[in-house]
Amino acid sequence: MKDTDKIAHRLALLEGVSFSPEDLESIVKEIEDNERIVAELEEFSHGTPWISLQAQPQDEKV
Amino acid sequence: MVPDDICELNLTDLSWLIAAREVSSVEAVSATLTRLEQLEGKLNAFITVLSEQALAQAKKADEEIARGNNRGPLHGIPVTIKDMFETAGVLTTGASKILKDWVPETDSALVERLRAAGAIIIGKTNLDEFGHGGTSTLSHFGPVHNPWDIERIAGGSSGGSAAAVAARIGTLSYGTETGSSVRRPASYCGVTGFKPTFGVISRHGSFRGAWSQDHVGLFARSVKDIALGLDPVAGFDARDPASVPQKTPAYASRLNANVKGRRVGVLRKFFEGVNGAVGQAFDAALEVFAGAGCEIIDLDVPELSYAAMTSMMTSSAESAGINRRWFRERHQDFVPHVARGIAVGMTITASEYLTVQRARHRIREALRGVYEKIDVIASPTTARVAPLLSEGLKGSGDDTRHASYNQSNLLRFPSMLGLPGCSVPIGISPEGMPMGMQLIGNWFADQAVLDAALAYQNATDWHTRRPAL
Repeated sequence: MKDTDKIAHRLALLEGVSFSPEDLESIVKEIEDNERIVAELEEFSHGTPWISLQAQPQDEKV
Repeated sequence: MVPDDICELNLTDLSWLIAAREVSSVEAVSATLTRLEQLEGKLNAFITVLSEQALAQAKKADEEIARGNNRGPLHGIPVTIKDMFETAGVLTTGASKILKDWVPETDSALVERLRAAGAIIIGKTNLDEFGHGGTSTLSHFGPVHNPWDIERIAGGSSGGSAAAVAARIGTLSYGTETGSSVRRPASYCGVTGFKPTFGVISRHGSFRGAWSQDHVGLFARSVKDIALGLDPVAGFDARDPASVPQKTPAYASRLNANVKGRRVGVLRKFFEGVNGAVGQAFDAALEVFAGAGCEIIDLDVPELSYAAMTSMMTSSAESAGINRRWFRERHQDFVPHVARGIAVGMTITASEYLTVQRARHRIREALRGVYEKIDVIASPTTARVAPLLSEGLKGSGDDTRHASYNQSNLLRFPSMLGLPGCSVPIGISPEGMPMGMQLIGNWFADQAVLDAALAYQNATDWHTRRPAL
């Protein structure tokens, strides 16, 4: 997928909310930062157990 | 006692004088309201002031105390709360345009407990919109100004609370922290700020910033006052899913300044970028601990290099989830910077969020091992003193993702992991601004953090310094 397509997919998650070109530029910059960060964190957390949190009330536990 | 003298009293002394009926609650509340009125034009620390209601409650408190029905150290004491807490019959805005006219019908857990303890809420303090920020400039009601220099920020998001306590507008204020929103403004405003272990104070009825990182915390002029303010509001509340079962809290009565043999960990690797004066003040503070018989231990926790980015991504995604409906329907009513932040959070996918949580788990496990070797981690709270308002958001810590992560990692890991943390004043910079040190303890070692802070404050007087307003 092209980088521009990837960003377009991301922006589609804004559920139709539109921003000015200046705001959009700043949002896209942060999205690109986040993609870099997630890649870094994926590498860092490799091999770490996934967190699994149960939702039952504490007083139900034996 | 004249009103100005009453405002100079700390919580410990004012509480004693009210209980002994040497100062009335009405006198204390009147004096505090007068000071608020005198300074609010400079500080913009408040969104709502409750003059009539507070005076009526103070009169009632005096009558109860006169009948011998003293409810404890907060009875009749004027306090302030961040405008994040629902307060029945009182405007509760979160510093937003969206809720600028909202008056809830019920009290938050914090307000319930303060009322039960007899505290008098005199006003609701200004903040970054819904707690999204580190400057207290992102408010629909305008920026909070730092009492030490009104051209500088107070820090955020609980900036109004920190500014009020620093300016002697009440002895105690309650705020919230998701990233560093208690410790940072405490450092910038030269007051003591504490946020307990995640789940110790109920968040029921307060606005969510990021549910897995949100804490309630408090500001005062000393750690003794913090402990007095903590006892009545800590404890289990089934309405907050994160609340932890706890026997009757008694932090104040268990305070112990004897820290001989305690181990203080220092993470110097993360000090790169710390201002020279701040670094010197911190080194002097470490000498105080060494003098008290503490062992100073240099630590290296490389996993913490990922703390700031993990914390920021977590809050960004959770905040988007919390604000999704308002974002969709009223995005133009958010402060623009906050709206952009929520938009970025909306684009984080579920699998990315889970990857971030996996990283968070790894950092938590690393810290778990660290606390087997030490009792508290000490560091400068912020890398430099409060920035000028004219600098905007730059350097305030809000640029965490773009700037050096070094100091931001130390600022952000306690809330991300739910560890107890206290910021205490440790000096005044050459430009006349306060500097702070944070002490971070193991999970549920809140008492150890308070004890270490007490030991420091017993040996120094930085926490007694006040701005020349």
